[in-house]
Amino acid sequence: MTLALSSSLLADLLGGARPAEWEALRLGAEGRLAGRDLPTTADEDWKYTDLKALASLSFGQAPRATVDISGHLLPEMVGTRQVFVNGHHAPHASCASAVQAGVRFFPMSTASEACHALGSVPDGGEPGLFEDLNTARFEDGAVILVPRNMRVALPLHLLFISKAEDPIAIFPRVLIVLERGSELELVEEHHGEGTYLTCPVVEVRVGEGALLRHERVQRDSDEAFHFGTLKAEVAKGGQYHSRTLSFGARISRQQPWVRLAEGADASLDGLALLDGHQVADTHSFLLHAEPHATSHQLHKCIVDGQARAIFNGQIRVAPHAQGTDARQQSRNLLLSESARMDTKPQLEIYADDVKCSHGATVGQLDPEELFYLQSRGLNADDARNLLTYGFAGDVLNHIPVASLRRSLRQLVMARTQADSLGELS
Amino acid sequence: MLSIKNLTASINGTPVLKGIDLEMKAGEIHAIMGPNGSGKSTLGKVLVGHPAYAVTGGEVLFEGKNLFDLEPDARARAGIFMGFQHPIEVPGVSNASFLRLAYNKKAEAEGRDELDPLEFDDFIHEKIKLVAMKEEFLDRSLNEGFSGGEKKRNEILQMAVLEPKLAILDELDSGLDIDALRVLGDAVNRLQRPDRALLVITHFPRILETIQPQYVHVLSGGRILKSAGKELAIELEERGYDWVLEEAAAGGLR
Repeated sequence: MTLALSSSLLADLLGGARPAEWEALRLGAEGRLAGRDLPTTADEDWKYTDLKALASLSFGQAPRATVDISGHLLPEMVGTRQVFVNGHHAPHASCASAVQAGVRFFPMSTASEACHALGSVPDGGEPGLFEDLNTARFEDGAVILVPRNMRVALPLHLLFISKAEDPIAIFPRVLIVLERGSELELVEEHHGEGTYLTCPVVEVRVGEGALLRHERVQRDSDEAFHFGTLKAEVAKGGQYHSRTLSFGARISRQQPWVRLAEGADASLDGLALLDGHQVADTHSFLLHAEPHATSHQLHKCIVDGQARAIFNGQIRVAPHAQGTDARQQSRNLLLSESARMDTKPQLEIYADDVKCSHGATVGQLDPEELFYLQSRGLNADDARNLLTYGFAGDVLNHIPVASLRRSLRQLVMARTQADSLGELS
Repeated sequence: MLSIKNLTASINGTPVLKGIDLEMKAGEIHAIMGPNGSGKSTLGKVLVGHPAYAVTGGEVLFEGKNLFDLEPDARARAGIFMGFQHPIEVPGVSNASFLRLAYNKKAEAEGRDELDPLEFDDFIHEKIKLVAMKEEFLDRSLNEGFSGGEKKRNEILQMAVLEPKLAILDELDSGLDIDALRVLGDAVNRLQRPDRALLVITHFPRILETIQPQYVHVLSGGRILKSAGKELAIELEERGYDWVLEEAAAGGLR
């Protein structure tokens, strides 16, 4: 291994042997990494997300481990799950017996390199550093292929669980291909304990007229670092609806990148619930590359303690993308004096016949709403907690998998002290 | 039940109520009428403790107790309810959950049994019939995306759930069509009992055809200019407010 890396962290992370498959892809990534260093707050793109805490650690290779997954099973998806522990496929914890015939849902380590277009979802710019790290070193992950016109009845469940005694680095990789006219619901969850760095990369291809609903839940440990990349390409008339819910990690960053072809439709919603010294950063990029595509983005953050949240939502409407309809909203609730939110919408519009709107609010609970609840007999604390829950509940209410919706509601109720209010829906 | 003596209040330092006196007994229905900007809504909001208003003088006793010693939520649990002119939308909280929570907080305060979700389900299905609300509105977020009329319906539903001793209804008729007004007016009448009192705040006399008051007060410039029986409402319908204002001016009140 002869890589000239300026950062000791990067040298560390690339220290292990290069996995055998996808060599060309990995060499490309290593080549780009050779000239790079961890970003600092001097980089415009990382202005508010300080990686010093990450740079001071050293991460070893992730050992195989066994975990009890009983707490993570969801009744709708008991027979449609693939489980990865510390980045390695866990065959005994996985169960894909109920996966509909024709759907291919298997670990990447068993996939043939030749037949899958990994790394082929193009990007407008250079791959990010954490994406390249993943490409250089990923060992496993999931491949999901849905054939033409197939409506997959049961949702699929992807569970990534990390268990770190000493700091470890994990690089999960996911490829999802929906052929023309197919439909799928996917739940992707990240859980963990201990100190670890996880850099998942998810590539999505939604074929013509196909529909993917993608729920993404980040419940990493409070000591974890999570840098996620999502790249989705949505073909003509296709629909991609994702919801990213961030609860854990010391520092997390989500970088969704979505390209919409003619008449495609995407929603890219997000919720981050932060406390203590957590940092959650979302840098999204929505490309309206062709005419008549629609996109909706609702991003909400609830920030307490000394936590900080960052939202940078870029929408680009290409010159020929007439009839684009793009809507973006960033709504943020600060629950303490020292909580902080930086939100920045970035609209680049190169077509003239478009509807684009964006709005950003940062604030405390609305005194009129508080008073309204109090006027019905709820004391000030209960009213505050109910409104905070409602602020988040607004995003959760549309999760299609009922058991997931319930468990996340309970989590949010506990985090917003609304659990004393009894069962809410 | 309610005794208001020389009540003055201001918003952002501007006096809005300039000495209100009003006595209400159990079983009575009073109407507060007056031109826009007269302070009618302010009176209601001051009584339920809206934080935008500062009480600058006078006294209000509710069942013999100083009302201003109580926080807004405690006033609600003590039995005061206001149906607002512009109810607030609260996304993310289902109407049914909110109603159950409000019901149980009051039940708890009164030492009655709280209702679990199933029991409450039966209870609320009886109540929505009273206001002719469609069931789907229970599952929707509180007032979110409701039309003006649906919000008013929801206010009266809340009143039916909480069964207050003193209900203050602010401009119930605004945003309501004739049929909805009749339904909600009838619902309010059915909720009225000898041990309850009702204060109807309205600009237009129309609603008083359904909810018939024993007493009508004309409020203008932060003062009650005239009090009389329900015949005053009919006179206001025919003649408007100007003559009351002129009469009061001639009498040296203003």
